[in-house]
Amino acid sequence: MKEIMAIVRMKKTGATKKALVAAGVAGFTAIKVAGRGKLVTDPQELEKCKEKLLAMGMDEFSDAKDTENLVTSFLDGTRFFPRRLFTILAHDDDVPRIVEAITNANRTDYGIGDGVIFVLPVNDALRVRTGEAGEAAIW
Amino acid sequence: MLLIRAIVRPERKDEVLAQLSEAGFNAATMVDVVGRGKQKGIKIGGMVYDEIPKILILMVIPDGEKEKVIRLIMDTARTGKEGTFGDGKIFVSPVEEAYTISKNSPGL
Repeated sequence: MKEIMAIVRMKKTGATKKALVAAGVAGFTAIKVAGRGKLVTDPQELEKCKEKLLAMGMDEFSDAKDTENLVTSFLDGTRFFPRRLFTILAHDDDVPRIVEAITNANRTDYGIGDGVIFVLPVNDALRVRTGEAGEAAIW
Repeated sequence: MLLIRAIVRPERKDEVLAQLSEAGFNAATMVDVVGRGKQKGIKIGGMVYDEIPKILILMVIPDGEKEKVIRLIMDTARTGKEGTFGDGKIFVSPVEEAYTISKNSPGL
């Protein structure tokens, strides 16, 4: 038995749910979390993000300097962004399939911030309704 | 790899996360939670508060960094000289695999 923890973009919640159903795993628990990743130090990657954000943030009312300050502080890497944490219980054999499904549903062109998946061992599970334990309790 | 679950006071979370980031452990996830400890909550007057708001910090780290991270969280999250009830707890569980979606590769 394994527990799969997947932290994904809020916008990808629907896509992840669909992918899980397609992979034959309907059951999951999801909560709202805030997360940040590894510090991005690649200047090229950062410059790309900065340009995109600056283009998005400017209009005739905003001050160029303010906007730039905002974007710079936004990209300093220590800020937390909203994410969705999926917890899925799975049989050992299904883990690669589920990981694959979540990865495919969540990959974007941004190159950063698509989330992470962790696989943890689980000692025992119990279904409250029937009292089944172990592998039988998963699905 | 190890999953660190640290439950800390909401007012200490910024300091803890800043210290972790400075020490090179930037990646973290946090969740607002409520809980009580073995003191069964707080009794103020006739009212018992047994759902005390805390922050749950989740982070996955390489095996070798365990001592360092735990020491850091412990030192930053503790309040007062000797520590106070309600400063929180740290739990450590094993993680077998990790995948970074944007890199499309196994590993942290």
